[in-house]
Amino acid sequence: MKKRNIVIIVTSLLVPAILLTIGLISVKDENPVTLTLWHNYGGQLKEKMDVMIEEFNGTIGAKEGVIISVTSISGSATLHEKLTMAANQDPGAPTLPDITTAYPKTALILEEKELLVDLENLFTEKELSAYIPRFIEEGRLSKEKLCVFPTAKSTEVLFINQTIFDRLAEATGASLEDLQTFEGIMKTAALYYEWTDNQTPEIKNDGKTFFVSDSLFNYTLIGCRQLKSDFMKDDAFHFSDPIVRKVWESYFNPATKGQYAIFDGYSADLAKTGDIVCSTGSTAGVSFYSPTVTYSDNTTEPAEMTILPYPVFVDGDKVAVQRGAGMCIIKSDKKKEKLAGLFLKWFTSPEVNLRFVSSTGYLPVTEAAYGDIMQEEINHISDPNVKKLLEVSRVMQTEYDYYISPLFDGIDELMDSYNTHLKTLADASKKTYLSLLDTQEAELAFNIIIESKYDEFTSYFK
Amino acid sequence: MNKLQHMLLHRINKSGMPSISMRLRLFLFLLVLVLTMISGIIVILLVSGIFTAGLSESSQIIKSELEHSSQEISNQFGQLSLQAVEFSEELSKQFEDTLNHMNLTIDKLSTNPDKLEELISEVYDLTYYSLEKADCSGAFIILNTTVNPALSNAEFSRAGLYLKNMEPNIISSSAPNMTVLRGFPSIGRENTIGLHAQWSMEFDITEADYYTIPQKEALHNRRLSMSRLYYWSDPLILPDTSEEVMLCSVPILDSSHNLYGVCGFEVSAMLFKLSHMPYNHTFSRMFCMLSPLQEDMVDINRSLFAGSYSVKDLVEEVTSLKVVPDGKSFTTYGIENKNIYLGYHSTIQLYPNDSPYADETWVSAVLVPKDDIVNSITRVNLILASLLTLLFTLGIIISIVFSNKYLKPISEGIEIIKSTAPGNAPKTNVQEIDDLINFLSIYKNELNRKVEEDKYQLTVLEQFAEKTKILSPAERSVFNLYVQGLNAKEIADRMFLSINTIKTHNKRIYSKLNVASREELLLYINMLKEIGRDLS
Repeated sequence: MKKRNIVIIVTSLLVPAILLTIGLISVKDENPVTLTLWHNYGGQLKEKMDVMIEEFNGTIGAKEGVIISVTSISGSATLHEKLTMAANQDPGAPTLPDITTAYPKTALILEEKELLVDLENLFTEKELSAYIPRFIEEGRLSKEKLCVFPTAKSTEVLFINQTIFDRLAEATGASLEDLQTFEGIMKTAALYYEWTDNQTPEIKNDGKTFFVSDSLFNYTLIGCRQLKSDFMKDDAFHFSDPIVRKVWESYFNPATKGQYAIFDGYSADLAKTGDIVCSTGSTAGVSFYSPTVTYSDNTTEPAEMTILPYPVFVDGDKVAVQRGAGMCIIKSDKKKEKLAGLFLKWFTSPEVNLRFVSSTGYLPVTEAAYGDIMQEEINHISDPNVKKLLEVSRVMQTEYDYYISPLFDGIDELMDSYNTHLKTLADASKKTYLSLLDTQEAELAFNIIIESKYDEFTSYFK
Repeated sequence: MNKLQHMLLHRINKSGMPSISMRLRLFLFLLVLVLTMISGIIVILLVSGIFTAGLSESSQIIKSELEHSSQEISNQFGQLSLQAVEFSEELSKQFEDTLNHMNLTIDKLSTNPDKLEELISEVYDLTYYSLEKADCSGAFIILNTTVNPALSNAEFSRAGLYLKNMEPNIISSSAPNMTVLRGFPSIGRENTIGLHAQWSMEFDITEADYYTIPQKEALHNRRLSMSRLYYWSDPLILPDTSEEVMLCSVPILDSSHNLYGVCGFEVSAMLFKLSHMPYNHTFSRMFCMLSPLQEDMVDINRSLFAGSYSVKDLVEEVTSLKVVPDGKSFTTYGIENKNIYLGYHSTIQLYPNDSPYADETWVSAVLVPKDDIVNSITRVNLILASLLTLLFTLGIIISIVFSNKYLKPISEGIEIIKSTAPGNAPKTNVQEIDDLINFLSIYKNELNRKVEEDKYQLTVLEQFAEKTKILSPAERSVFNLYVQGLNAKEIADRMFLSINTIKTHNKRIYSKLNVASREELLLYINMLKEIGRDLS
């Protein structure tokens, strides 16, 4: 047989075989990769997150063969507990997801067990340069490894129930401008207490609380930074610093007098029932504030909200805390990790990111998102509160320095301990103060109470 | 080329047929063998059902998933029904005692908001622990009263308590993430649990079947025990909330059959998803659903889903799926040719037979988009087809190589045979061919020898014929008559000579032709005749 014939026969058989194989490969695998996602965007944020994920699944996800499946939505504290349980493989703990939102403190625990993907391997240097550097820096944990990717950050602002405040202003001449400083808030809180106390002359000392801070630790930490001092040194509280005492007293004193709320929960809860007028809290908390205030007889009234930049101590620098979880990718296989990276890229691309933050109160993570796109987005936002919030965040982005909470082993316990002890002591002081008021003048009663309280408080941590 | 080769070529050419080389013949034989074997494999695959194995395997996967899910759903919903009844009985007793102690009736509570708050606060612990104990995401109590009847919406506002577990899927959480979704804020604050982001003080009972239906049935069926009066709502989103939930509500009745309201448990869409998500690696778009079945239709909007795939996306713009059972294989779920799913369903008995809602049929179904199953089977069969084609190609290549290898010694043998000295040729190491070469070598020698002999005989006869030319005319005449076959006497008669004269001629002829006798002479004549030589 001639060689030519052999070549013809073999080719004519090999070609269909190869074509078949190509056909086999080209038959699209209709079984896409499923990536599980845990996030802490609950409540109304959940709806927005659902819409975002559906959009991803229907567009990029469908094209690239990946489905994002949310398997847990919980508050950040629960998420932290759940991730820790899963990382430790505690009995009854769920399996770790492929992507999770996590605060650096949670990510640190996961990273200690080498469960996190180095996100720098999934992003090019050019891609990373589009993000706000301090957001990226916050996510760099051990050995310069980028473990937490900024997806939606937050800071703290001042939420004000304008409806109640207007009544106060009308009756007492209180000014909204006063709320720009913590000293002004203290002054207004005293005014509010007196005004509300006077509304029921038959009951003495039943004035209402005016202000609360969602995190007393952050309140002290940032207050000290504003006054150019450090609340924490060498992984411990720096109580001997007079600035620390000044900031501590700026909460403790009005709390003892019943002007600031002592509350073990989110300020939004108190705002819902009209038990406070203003509060400092995360921008992401905006959706937790109800548009109405419900009173104890179930009557409700609309509550207009005003948002101001984070207050500053007089003569202090404009400093606010940088908060917000990022997203981590849990180690699995290269394909899943790459697809998870694809989701993060999509989710943080300026337009998509701004769409998410514009209805949730989070802050976008790319420089580009703070530009013209943000103004465009602000013009189209229907929720007036989010609109106000974005405008404030834009001002803060240019005028404020953001401070990242220190991160070390045990910081969580220290923060909890600080918050709990401060509240417990303030609550006890308040009760003693109120009981002393029956027999003593207010100023004297207060001085009796306050004298040794700072030392008593700091002794917990010795 | 020798005479033999000529003869062989002559014979081959004489056949007149187009010649097919042995190599081609062998290749074709091997090809037939390969084709027979592949056909055999295909027959075996067909008979053993390998080509359709994907279908039955998929069917088996879905069936076992359904069996598992149905069991789990039955258990969860059955347990919750029982626990809701138990919860209602305990609440009824506690409410009755408290109200008696307060000397109030349920309808008088609205004018005593403090007492109402106290009444609800007292059952907080029971609600909390009932919720913690049950495999559910929330527990609620809705009382037939409101804190403020003067409000414009008081007709549709009901006091109560709704605790929601935000993380019902954590088994061993040290602190369950409870929130107050509905109820007095003081209850949450006293017990250090937060208000839900979508908190309201009271329930909005506009279009609240879970509130009205169980109470209506309790009034109509006074003889039925509580265990027959629980009611499962359709999946719904409560007013001013965002999550889809399914509620099991039971009327709260005192010992005199006075209705206080309803209570029960919630299964959120997230809890259902996390509890009943199919764990399957073959079909990642497999999902499980709990749906009411009415006239062979399952209503998407009244279903709970569990699956990693965003099922609501999958069923975009479709509100219900028609169920078309196939006795042999999958049941089809879809509308016309769009959004077709394959799978199975089984009935979930949510209610006992004597329940007022016993005629409702609920099913749990495990479905997979049809395309996924078809693709899966097509892929398997394409792999098989591809492998068979590759096997066939390999067979062809092997046939070519084998026929070449096999024919190589034969070709070499023929070359050797063609050569002049096959006897001295190297061995081919193929016994038969070497034997043939030996045989042909011997045959060739023999042939040569015979040719030599023939040559010699020819020379003697030629000399004999030449000598006849020196015969005298008389002797020639006698010789010619011998050639004609006459004997001596006949020749004497023909020539009118005496026999002695003939004998004399004979002697001279014998002498000249160098033969010894008349027999030898006749032999020569005959031999010359045989080779066609004319002697006349």
